[in-house]
Amino acid sequence: MTEPLVKVDRLTKLFPVSRGMFRRPVDFIHAVDGVSFEIAPGESLGLVGESGCGKTTTGRLLVKLMEATSGQILMHDDGSMIDVAHIGSDDLRRFRRRVQMIFQDPYESMNPRRTVFDTVSEPLAVQNIGSLREREDRVAQMLQLVGLTPPNTFLFRYPHELSGGQRQRVAIARALVLDPSFVVADEPTSMLDVSIRISIMELMLELADAFDVSYLYITHDLAVARYMCDRIAVMYLGKIVELGDTEEVLSNPLHPYTRALLSAVPVPDPTYRKPPVEIKGGITKAINPPTECRFIERCPWATDVCHSTEHPPLEDKGGGHFVACHLVEKGAG
Amino acid sequence: MTEKIDARPGADEPTDLPPPIISPDSVPDSMWRIRWALFRRSFAHNWKLFRANRVGLVGLAIIGFFALLAIAPTVLFATGIWNSAVYDPVVGLEPNPPVKVMTVVNEITDPETQIDFRHVLLDNRIPNNIQVGEQVEIPQQPAPPDRRHWLGTDPLGRDVLSQLMHGARAAFFLGILAAVVTVIIATTVGSISAYFGGALDSFFMRLADLLIMIPFLAILIVIGAIFEFKLWHLAVVIGLLSGFGGVAIVLKSQALAVKVKPFVDAARVAGGSNAHIIFTHIVPNVMPLSFLYMMFTVTSAIQGEAALSFLGLLNVRISWGLMIQLANTQGYLLQGLRYWWLLFPAGLAVTLISAAFFLVGRAMDEVVNPRLRKR
Amino acid sequence: MSAPPLLEVDHLVMNYVTEKGDVSAVEDVSFTLHQGEALGLVGESGCGKTSIAMSLLRLQAENAVFKSGEIRLNGENLLALPEDEMRRHRWKDIAMVFQGAMNAWNPVYRVGDQIREALDLHFRPRLSDAEATERISRLFEMVGLNPAMANRYPHEFSGGMRQRAVIAMALSCDPSIIIADEPTTALDVIVQDQILQELKKIQRELGMAIIYISHDIAVIAEVTDTIGIMYAGKLVELGPTVEVFARPKHPYAYLLLSSTPSVTGPRRKLAPLEGEPPNLLNPPTGCRFHPRCPFATERCSIEEPPMETIADGHRVACWNWREVPVSIAQEARP
Repeated sequence: MTEPLVKVDRLTKLFPVSRGMFRRPVDFIHAVDGVSFEIAPGESLGLVGESGCGKTTTGRLLVKLMEATSGQILMHDDGSMIDVAHIGSDDLRRFRRRVQMIFQDPYESMNPRRTVFDTVSEPLAVQNIGSLREREDRVAQMLQLVGLTPPNTFLFRYPHELSGGQRQRVAIARALVLDPSFVVADEPTSMLDVSIRISIMELMLELADAFDVSYLYITHDLAVARYMCDRIAVMYLGKIVELGDTEEVLSNPLHPYTRALLSAVPVPDPTYRKPPVEIKGGITKAINPPTECRFIERCPWATDVCHSTEHPPLEDKGGGHFVACHLVEKGAG
Repeated sequence: MTEKIDARPGADEPTDLPPPIISPDSVPDSMWRIRWALFRRSFAHNWKLFRANRVGLVGLAIIGFFALLAIAPTVLFATGIWNSAVYDPVVGLEPNPPVKVMTVVNEITDPETQIDFRHVLLDNRIPNNIQVGEQVEIPQQPAPPDRRHWLGTDPLGRDVLSQLMHGARAAFFLGILAAVVTVIIATTVGSISAYFGGALDSFFMRLADLLIMIPFLAILIVIGAIFEFKLWHLAVVIGLLSGFGGVAIVLKSQALAVKVKPFVDAARVAGGSNAHIIFTHIVPNVMPLSFLYMMFTVTSAIQGEAALSFLGLLNVRISWGLMIQLANTQGYLLQGLRYWWLLFPAGLAVTLISAAFFLVGRAMDEVVNPRLRKR
Repeated sequence: MSAPPLLEVDHLVMNYVTEKGDVSAVEDVSFTLHQGEALGLVGESGCGKTSIAMSLLRLQAENAVFKSGEIRLNGENLLALPEDEMRRHRWKDIAMVFQGAMNAWNPVYRVGDQIREALDLHFRPRLSDAEATERISRLFEMVGLNPAMANRYPHEFSGGMRQRAVIAMALSCDPSIIIADEPTTALDVIVQDQILQELKKIQRELGMAIIYISHDIAVIAEVTDTIGIMYAGKLVELGPTVEVFARPKHPYAYLLLSSTPSVTGPRRKLAPLEGEPPNLLNPPTGCRFHPRCPFATERCSIEEPPMETIADGHRVACWNWREVPVSIAQEARP
């Protein structure tokens, strides 16, 4: 196997919940709890889960919008792996060129007082790349690539003059203008209309090839993940519970949570008979979670083993299909 | 971390695009020309919104009127229509005031005000050796409006209209300087507090609380009593008090709302420094609200000046407050409507211009806050 | 289909009057709803589906103007009723689960008390305390909530529970029609599934008619018998859900279905719909979809296609519906 582009090792982020005014925080939300995965160059990994599962936090940790509580994020850079957590300020600037992010809300991810040109050229400006003239050419070229043509009609528009789909195209242009190798995409299409959603997804796939970027594609929608990602990781309360090739996970879900999630997804086929969703209770919060399996309270199949042991490790059950469940036999994958 | 699907009606409708600033196949244009065109367009758009508000237009008209008044003396003196010996607001004197012939009955006092003429009139036409029973020509000062002095003269024989015009100058100078100081301080403090948070934020916010608790006028009176207080001193003090005070808190809460927007995250991911984020993303989005508070600061500065001058605590050449103060110390204030020209022009001017800036502020509020707009 | 329809929307035309001109939000829409039927209206934001829902309750925005058409409930034209008579139908005959209603609970009153208030407003004769409590308990059970929760405050409910309570409130006066406007948007998939199953069950048990309004065609597929597809203020296709999904006849419906990703079936290439929906201040001439339509001919830009019945209960508004491929493209994704 080639060397991974990104290697995340036991990444953890705890948010303190302080009770009372002067007391020290005693409770912690385990937003991301010992998450490990790798992303190969050019590969797209989907991070799937319900709201509050920690998928967005994971994405923000990877682009260093937040500092991890513990764990490592290693990035491939010029033949060596650099540790993103302990990066100096000069290296951080360089790191910023390699790693970018696309945000969910196209209405809020552009400064309403800055033009498309300002927005797309901002990464170039803060990185001191090129003269004004060169930046202008580069931005025009990017707009062309994301399908905002002819670029001159869009260069000096304000966000309010654009539709949601056009804004998301601008956001993609901004993320790719520095020619990064890794992009975290946080639900980039969830706020768009169906007819526009697919064209944005298609554009992202096209540009992934053209720019040779890897995506960490964060989404709550398994159908979208299936379309966008080579592999998917399913998160539940801060833990990855299942990870593997997209088609393998969707056709042969092994973790009880993945199964429930998959059978709950509405299917655009009125003749399709959905299997019942087997899950108990409602979503719980990750404040000081139990040491046993994270899913134990909602799992209809939990046994004594589950109650008496710690959270199961994420194990390869065969063919690169990782599952964190005591009840799944090795070789099931 | 919410997965919301946007269902605002028409959220994805293509907007009606105004024509592009640069045409699709034109020769590349210079950047400043493009910026200027963009600025003109957004100004035109905002003006259209502002114009829809009649109250704001009234305010603007009043401000325009006073601006004309403020410029007028320069023109009148330069063209020689006004002679500065007569019309200067401070040292001018009407040489031929209306005269009243009176017989000296006992003492040389003005029957109206019971004040000794010799104290009031800097006039040597009354002989010092005047006797009871003699007739004397008493110049009528303050004189009511006539053809030479449209708003009459003050007790010292100076032209009230000229004073009113120079007072408008003082008011604009004071109001605008105070507002600029307020806005620069408040925007910076608010943005920095919101962005960095922590101890810096606590310090500025506690300071703001403190300044809000201190009674504004009382502290001005104390400062005025201790130091020699010029107009620009007052402007700066008012600017500091409101800049570090209430306005900073308002602008900080606005900056906090901007700080959490994804475009700020995007700037950080791009590698933008703190200064870059504060000055290119947070401050420009706080600015509209800053301008709004500028208008309200002008109002409070002008009112503060009037109060201080009235109390005689301001070292200022001429101002509306001083005009009223003079009328008061010379005893003309409590004469009912008889000496109206000493009181009303200045009093009305203070009221009108305060109201005008306030009204403009309200109208701007509607431009800045689309929620307040009528559809 | 011999029984007379419960609700008939007949050539409804509604505009929003704005400063810039009239927005043609609902243009010549007709459909019927029978007892016990589940109808889905699907379309993108701004297509007029919520405008129709609001019109059915006469809760349309202030600047809305009905140009023509009728909305008949049991044969009575609702648009012609004076406001106080309309108020009697609202909630009693037609109830609505508003978009985002789960966030509309007043935080300072108990949920049960808020439902009680609705009961007092609409139920005649007024219920006694015991009757009301009984009724609220029954409603809670019906939507899968513990009746004891009625004495709790909204903040003690999770998002899904709040939405269930909203449904309980909509059911409180035994309406014959429920309009559910995006009932599960903003909810997670598992909760969404639970609520949809609950709604389906209730509908079956009570024999109510439901109008589902959603942007999510997969949700509509799951819960409806009949589907209406809307585009830019027009109903472009209406028919039995199974039939429309199997053989969409309107190009927009066809492309919408082709561009909907699914977790089932083969992983196929999705066909993006080019362009963006039109501005309804100035809708395109002829067929409103023609600028984006790959099947468009010259006629489409000139003449507006009428709603044409192509099979029993399957109607489509397109000149070239015969050109649309028989089933969805199944080109596998490389």
